[in-house]
Amino acid sequence: MSQVNAREYWTDMNRAEQGVATFMAVTIGGLLVAMLAGGLDPTYFLFLFGLGGMFALMSLGLNAQWGFTGLINFSVAAFFGLGAYGAALMTATNSPVAGGFDPIFGLVLGLVLAAVFAVAIGIPTLRLRADYLAIATLGLAEVIRTVILNERDLTAGSQGLRGIPGFFENWPVLSTFPEAMPGLRIEIIPGQPVVLELSFWEQLLNVSLLLVFLGVSFFVLRRAHRSPWGRVLRTIRSDEDLAKTLGKNTYWYKMQAFVLGSLVMALAGGFFAHLNLFVDPSNLDPITTFYVWVAVMLGGAGSNRGALFGGFVVVAIREGPRFINELPPAPVRNVLEGIVNVIPSVTVEIPSIVLDAGPLRLLLIGLTIILVMRYRPQGVLPPQRELIWPDAIEEDEKARPEMGVREAKTGEIDD
Amino acid sequence: MAVTEQFLELAANGLVYSSIIILGSIGLSLIYSIAGFANFAHGDTMTVGAYATLIAFGAVGGAGFSILGLPLGFFVALVIGIVVTAAVALVTERLVYKPLDIGSIGLLITSIGVAFIYRALIQVQFSSDSRRFDIDRLRPIEPLVEYGIRITKHDIAIVISAVTLVVGLHVLLQHTDLGRKMRATADNPDLARASGIRIRRVELWTWVLGAGLAGAGGAFLGLFNLLAPRMGFSELLVIFAAVILGGIGSVYGAMLGGLLIGMIVSMTPLLSTVGIPIGGEYAAALAFIVMVLVLLVRPEGIAGEPVGGG
Amino acid sequence: MLAAGCVGTTDEDNGDGGSADDDGSADDDGSSGDGGGDQYSIGMVDSLTGSLADFGERNQRGVELALEDVNAIGIDDRELDIIVEDSEGNSQGGVAAAQKLINQNNVPFLIGAVGSGVSLSIYESVVQGTDVVQLSQNSTGLALSEFPDLLRMSPSGQSQSAALADIVTEDGYDEVAITYINDEFGESLTDAFTGFYDGEVAFERAHDGEQASYSGLLSDMNGSGADAWLFITYQEEFATQVNNMFESGYEAQLYGADSNRGNTVISNTPEGSINGMKVVEPSAPVEQDSFQEFSSRFEEEHGEEPTVWSAFAYDCVITAALSIKAADEFTGSALSEVVRDVTRPEGEEVFSYEAAYEILDNDGTPSDIDYQGVSGPIDFNEDGDPVGTLQVLEVQNHEYVPIEFREG
Repeated sequence: MSQVNAREYWTDMNRAEQGVATFMAVTIGGLLVAMLAGGLDPTYFLFLFGLGGMFALMSLGLNAQWGFTGLINFSVAAFFGLGAYGAALMTATNSPVAGGFDPIFGLVLGLVLAAVFAVAIGIPTLRLRADYLAIATLGLAEVIRTVILNERDLTAGSQGLRGIPGFFENWPVLSTFPEAMPGLRIEIIPGQPVVLELSFWEQLLNVSLLLVFLGVSFFVLRRAHRSPWGRVLRTIRSDEDLAKTLGKNTYWYKMQAFVLGSLVMALAGGFFAHLNLFVDPSNLDPITTFYVWVAVMLGGAGSNRGALFGGFVVVAIREGPRFINELPPAPVRNVLEGIVNVIPSVTVEIPSIVLDAGPLRLLLIGLTIILVMRYRPQGVLPPQRELIWPDAIEEDEKARPEMGVREAKTGEIDD
Repeated sequence: MAVTEQFLELAANGLVYSSIIILGSIGLSLIYSIAGFANFAHGDTMTVGAYATLIAFGAVGGAGFSILGLPLGFFVALVIGIVVTAAVALVTERLVYKPLDIGSIGLLITSIGVAFIYRALIQVQFSSDSRRFDIDRLRPIEPLVEYGIRITKHDIAIVISAVTLVVGLHVLLQHTDLGRKMRATADNPDLARASGIRIRRVELWTWVLGAGLAGAGGAFLGLFNLLAPRMGFSELLVIFAAVILGGIGSVYGAMLGGLLIGMIVSMTPLLSTVGIPIGGEYAAALAFIVMVLVLLVRPEGIAGEPVGGG
Repeated sequence: MLAAGCVGTTDEDNGDGGSADDDGSADDDGSSGDGGGDQYSIGMVDSLTGSLADFGERNQRGVELALEDVNAIGIDDRELDIIVEDSEGNSQGGVAAAQKLINQNNVPFLIGAVGSGVSLSIYESVVQGTDVVQLSQNSTGLALSEFPDLLRMSPSGQSQSAALADIVTEDGYDEVAITYINDEFGESLTDAFTGFYDGEVAFERAHDGEQASYSGLLSDMNGSGADAWLFITYQEEFATQVNNMFESGYEAQLYGADSNRGNTVISNTPEGSINGMKVVEPSAPVEQDSFQEFSSRFEEEHGEEPTVWSAFAYDCVITAALSIKAADEFTGSALSEVVRDVTRPEGEEVFSYEAAYEILDNDGTPSDIDYQGVSGPIDFNEDGDPVGTLQVLEVQNHEYVPIEFREG
């Protein structure tokens, strides 16, 4: 984008974008404050950030399939899992086939597996109409999970692969970075020091790796989206017959988008292996697929920024219940009770429901899906411009995505 | 054990399992053809039925005479369970699906949200542990054991009940006004509307019947195995396979598909016996592969209408 | 960004970051650094939900009693606080729980976990490389012995497998069919069993957990022709298997390991369906006074006798508390130096927290005491395993009845 003036940049955003930007700023600001005040451990915060980025990465991949091309892919978890297993099989201490290799090999293996299986799944399914594609991809993902679960001699089965090293364990400077860094003790509020030690620096390395993956994927997908290739995909999404009439081999394009998206998902899986240091077949559970779908739906199909936003929100839904298992949450309840009970001789206890983390998570995801589909099916940050003919777009128009063709100034697309 | 013995044993079990799958696949097919979308909440609808029956049975109790080892109270609870499931489906339709105007893919995705909510609510109440009906387990029927068939009276009850429900549905579809209207709407909604059929009525009845059958299937599944919050979702893909094999749009196709898929899943262990190295643990995976093959080769399934453009 | 004077380095005496002062505890909402005030907080990963939830319940009951005993006296005027996280019975959950306890709550001591695969995953993926002390309360899988720093209160399943092999042979069966849960625990105990067993293993197959039915597996087991069937699996799975067996009319002499005996099995299976089954599990020192006291307190509180698992959990807490008392500071490295000493056979035998505390409080060193737990002498060996005995139980009238003891 050509604007460098911050003010112009702000007013140029539409309300949704401003809302999201504010929300993100407030959230990040709040978390920073919590950290500096000693309330939130920085290492754990980085861990959560890593998870969020991982979901954001998967969302970018799904975006390339659903957002760009309109493919309803319910096999996200399988490709995530293949990436994770590729990394793990090469590096884990109890890997039945390899183990002890440098993580780079694991990453490559994960990507290769993803590409191979993407083609294998794509061949029978990409010609199917949307709902059949959904069912078929879900079924085939389950087949992959079942195989990983049962072929113990190849994958260690339900025991999982453990003892996975960090990604940089063999690198010259980075492998000793966590130990070399001094333990830092930051005390902004007296009595509540924030200690940054070994585990913090280790997580920092992980997060840096993730940012590299995210950056590369974001950049690559953005270029692809704006390229002529991306234009064909968008045409296929909105009207496949038109694309065919234009002489495009839509099947081939769909396959490419499918493989590209799957590679990005596998990248996320590889990162996960070196973050969690443990991989097992439960990582291929379909719920992961649906988490990523929620992220993309929240963010807005076709929107890469939206996918990033959605990814972090989903992690909040996934990890939040670990800390907050009452509805309304305890601090909120205390505040409410404090307010209500100011009235003398009134003691009210705000009723609350205590829920286990498991069902609470499911409930939140289910509600999110329904609410998004009901009130904002295009997502929070839908792509700003109709994407069929990018030359026909005006910069000033703030439009909903289904609005059709606009007059154009340049070929710039807001992503 | 001889192959024939194993065959008979697996086939007998398969018949019971197929009965349960058929109850699910008919409902899914009805909803698919009349409400117009793939209902991913159908498996969890079965779970709702199972737990509703469990609660009702807890209230009604096991007193009274028994039929085939099942106390009268169980059948009463079953009816209650079916009614409750239908009611839940109606409420969901009214609150969630009806206000949406987003096409069948959007509804598909929404139904996933509905599935999670059903499961979450059940899990809140019952935790994720498994439960069983408080009915005494039975020994297999003696005279059949020597042929290798090991089924109990409960299994017979499940099959007979399922058959009864299916026959009842058949009678309804073929010989009642509602059934005629349903068939017409499934065939050609526009024509049906034009000829004065109140589509809305038909849709609601479809949900009632579809969910009711699913609820019954869930209760029987709970009796056959056990109850757990994931029980329905675990069968969802198998039921989809059955519907696709049988052909969307055809209730009779769904019955046939349910029977075939149920048998394939139950008889997978036979493969190892005849030398094909696919173990019983791949039974569901096998069903999915069959489903994908059907989609490739003959997407309309056995009895469905030819599929138009995507 | 950071005001001058607010940033400093932590003590540099060791590269893996033990902080200089006694900043030990983290309170429940996870603030780091000192400010723990009146508590020492340690972590616990337990199977509160999932296949192993029964163990979780037993453990929590043992932990409650232990906390009563410890906090009646305290540790240097502070209370012991245990932050419990749920592993949900699987490794993924366990790893996530451990990550939170170690990274968010900064605990230097972690009691965990129940499942052997879970304990190993926590150790290899989270604990190893930190200086946190890990002590598993219930894991009996063999592989934990390969990691000396991964301590456990329950003895290795190797002795169980040996005992089972002996019992099956003594009962006159030269053929056995085995099925085991598809994880570290099931696999390692089965491998050990087949190593010890002299007869023929007519059938050996793993099964997945949490299945709705195991009919196919059991049908094949029946087809093997063996009359002795060994199940190394968890209670819920075993209950399902028993129901399937009952409804298929299969009959066999049943054997099981420590994991598939408990109330869940009894209350979910038909009367008479498992009569005659023999189960081997670790045994508590039933003659010991301290155990009998523990047992009667437990029975008063919960209406039934304790299992050895509750005793293990109890001892984990006591051992942790004694280590905290004996250590120079509340850090992982300091705790790991003393944790074995407090129960080693050197020093005076003490049978309660109170007695041990008294010695330590009077300038005692950890080697001056030899804590004898309610689950046994403990005495971690060089593999981090305790010493233990076994007991054999038989199901009579649909109840578990102890019939003999065996050496571990």
